[in-house]
Amino acid sequence: MRERLSFFVKRDSPIHRLNPMTKVVLALSLVLIAFSSPWFWTPPAIFILVILPLTLIGKVAREYWNFFFKVILPTILFLFIMQALFLPGKSKIIFEIFGLEATELSAQLAFRNATRIAVMVSSFTILLLTTHPSELMSDLTRRGMPGQFAYVIISSIQIIPQMQAKAQTIISAQRSRGLDTQSSFFKRAGSLIPLIGPLVFGSLVEVEERAIAIEARGFTSTNTKTSLHEIPDTNVDKTIRWILVAFVLASVAWRLWLL
Amino acid sequence: MAVVNLHNIIYKYPLTNTPVLKNINLQVEDGEFVAIVGPNGAGKSTLCYTIAGFVPHFFKGEMTGTVEVLGIESQNSSLHEWVLNVGLAFQNPFNQISGAKYTVFEEIAFGLENIGIPRDEMISRVEEAMKLTGISDLADRSPYSLSGGQQQRVALTSILVMQPKVLVLDEPTSQMDPIGTREVFVAIHKMAEQGMTVIMVEHKVEWIAHFVDRVIALKDGQVILEGTPDEVLTSSLLEESGFGISRYTSVARKAQQMGLWHSDSLPITLEEAVDGFSKVVAK
Amino acid sequence: MKIEIRDLHFSYPTGVEALQGITLTIESGEQVAIVGQNGAGKTTLVKHLNALLLPTSGEVRIGGWDTKSQSVAKLARRVGYVFQNPDEQLFSKNVEAEVAFGPNNLKLDKEQVQRLVEDALTMTELSDKRETNPYDLSPTWRKMVALASVISMDTDIVVFDEPTTGQDAMSIARIANVIKTLRQRGKTVITITHDIDFCAENFERVIALSQGKVLLDGKTNDVLGQDEILATTYVDPPQLTRLGKRLGFKNTVRNQEEFLTVLKKEKSTYLS
Repeated sequence: MRERLSFFVKRDSPIHRLNPMTKVVLALSLVLIAFSSPWFWTPPAIFILVILPLTLIGKVAREYWNFFFKVILPTILFLFIMQALFLPGKSKIIFEIFGLEATELSAQLAFRNATRIAVMVSSFTILLLTTHPSELMSDLTRRGMPGQFAYVIISSIQIIPQMQAKAQTIISAQRSRGLDTQSSFFKRAGSLIPLIGPLVFGSLVEVEERAIAIEARGFTSTNTKTSLHEIPDTNVDKTIRWILVAFVLASVAWRLWLL
Repeated sequence: MAVVNLHNIIYKYPLTNTPVLKNINLQVEDGEFVAIVGPNGAGKSTLCYTIAGFVPHFFKGEMTGTVEVLGIESQNSSLHEWVLNVGLAFQNPFNQISGAKYTVFEEIAFGLENIGIPRDEMISRVEEAMKLTGISDLADRSPYSLSGGQQQRVALTSILVMQPKVLVLDEPTSQMDPIGTREVFVAIHKMAEQGMTVIMVEHKVEWIAHFVDRVIALKDGQVILEGTPDEVLTSSLLEESGFGISRYTSVARKAQQMGLWHSDSLPITLEEAVDGFSKVVAK
Repeated sequence: MKIEIRDLHFSYPTGVEALQGITLTIESGEQVAIVGQNGAGKTTLVKHLNALLLPTSGEVRIGGWDTKSQSVAKLARRVGYVFQNPDEQLFSKNVEAEVAFGPNNLKLDKEQVQRLVEDALTMTELSDKRETNPYDLSPTWRKMVALASVISMDTDIVVFDEPTTGQDAMSIARIANVIKTLRQRGKTVITITHDIDFCAENFERVIALSQGKVLLDGKTNDVLGQDEILATTYVDPPQLTRLGKRLGFKNTVRNQEEFLTVLKKEKSTYLS
């Protein structure tokens, strides 16, 4: 049985126990502060003073670093180099690759952008690592997000691995009919149709039946929905959210003050 | 007063020329357990969708005639209200998994969340329903990790928990082994005794004979025979029309022609066959 | 085209050892049914016949070819595999094109392909539906299209994975006819099936698998008469076999003719 596609790691930690909305506000706040604060060193500061401690408090350090080294670090390194080499800025040249020059100014800009992106991806990663998708969607729905929207997101998470498995079976079936998946011949567009066709047509049939199934279970009912699981929203949660909002406002105000 | 009343139903799917249901008249009484048999393409699934309101509300197309459940016509009701009275579980269990829930317990509760049942009541209804269909031990499993037969039981339970007055089932045991099939038939029979009206499409003739009140034989969109299981399932009309009948019935009919079966009535189940043939080779 | 399987072991990447030492030979032209509970290894076993899976240890030879040294596409010349769900194979604009897909992949010449397609359509009673889009047909007929599109490859060995699931009596009879025709043409037919009555009525040899090993392997009457052993892999005997046993028949019967023959004998035994 394939692993779920979602990030969620089931553990008990103060971060896990926070209300999902609090974690959403936390992630958004960190991003807004990182992008709006005029102080150059804000993103790295947030990274060291906030992100890292959060991964430890949330007991998801291992999974976070795994993702960091596999995805985040290569991405921001790439971004940094590209931006440093291509952003305009007339000042001292500090390094050179293949004849392309990086100046002090462009390197600074690239660094700022790369670290901002790192904060953004990291804060949402922590959100996803510590929040069960069902709970997140349930809470957002309770606060007014359309139920259909939540359903589409949640069901996609589980259905994508199923579709991957289905695609594998289709490939096996067509190979058994002599479709040669190893020759260069295969690269012609025409050879993709036997693989994509069944996937698409089969999925259409599935989607129709699934729509009937959820309709039969009251999906389009106009009654107010209830929830099996109680998702607590404590005073601590509310306080944290207000503090975060205050920080964001302060950061934006500081930025505007300096303009 | 019939709980379910189909009157002169003719139905054509959109963009097709031939009606799939050609003048169906059908009444089901309160608490009856009715089976529908027929070859593939006879219109059995379409009939299920019609009683459940998906024809015409979901599929559109052209329908004439009336579908009445508990005195209300499906044409005059919205689908989301109709499904509260008529529950539907169909063949493919995989497509009935919502995909929105991570455990079987949550999956079964999904319907109750949608219609706004309070939490405490929700929990007790789910627990009861799971006990009835024998899947309490699957509560914490992911629906996608289950076998086809287990998924079919979850699908059935997910509808039972909504407590509809009428239950429409389209081949609900097709992927189950004999033990699972028996448990499901027993559970459904119990619900029928408690007042639920059940309409079930089935191929498994022996089980029908054992548990069902009335059998309706459908072919090419029309009802060709109706009556008790004995009357319908042993009729030669069924065998001639290519229906899947019990091998016990078919061999006894042949034996009868050879003078090797002496009863007037033909067997459907193993026990009936043993009974009848024992007399032929009687010690 | 002999199938030789020698001490076949197979473990999935997850570590599950699905096949724990299977040795058997299937001669050219045999009709074999493979039965057993879910998870016994039936599908895993037959996927080794066309190299969809390769042995972790042991050997599988198809007409002398070691599957480890062949591609799936190459083995498709010798082994046709009909998957359980036709919707995982069908994609063409009409039935005829779908049925021609397989033989075209085998790079046969145009006339040969035409001949094979005609033949397959006739065998599966699809000739009048050749212009129809497969997805406009009912699931029952889509199954026949999937069958036809493998038969048209005219392989010496044909494997069916649960051909009768979801089919009604008439279409099961149709499928039984196809198997009969293949038998008459000397093809080797291997079927995985849960429908034990279908198995009893159409196959001469039954292999019962349990937990990755061969539990029983022999002539249909011999295997299906051993109900206690079959029960361990959740296989119930066919209806008429059960009836015969309950009536005390000495021989195991597996279909209507055998039942009536023995019944006649038993009756006259009594009378005399």
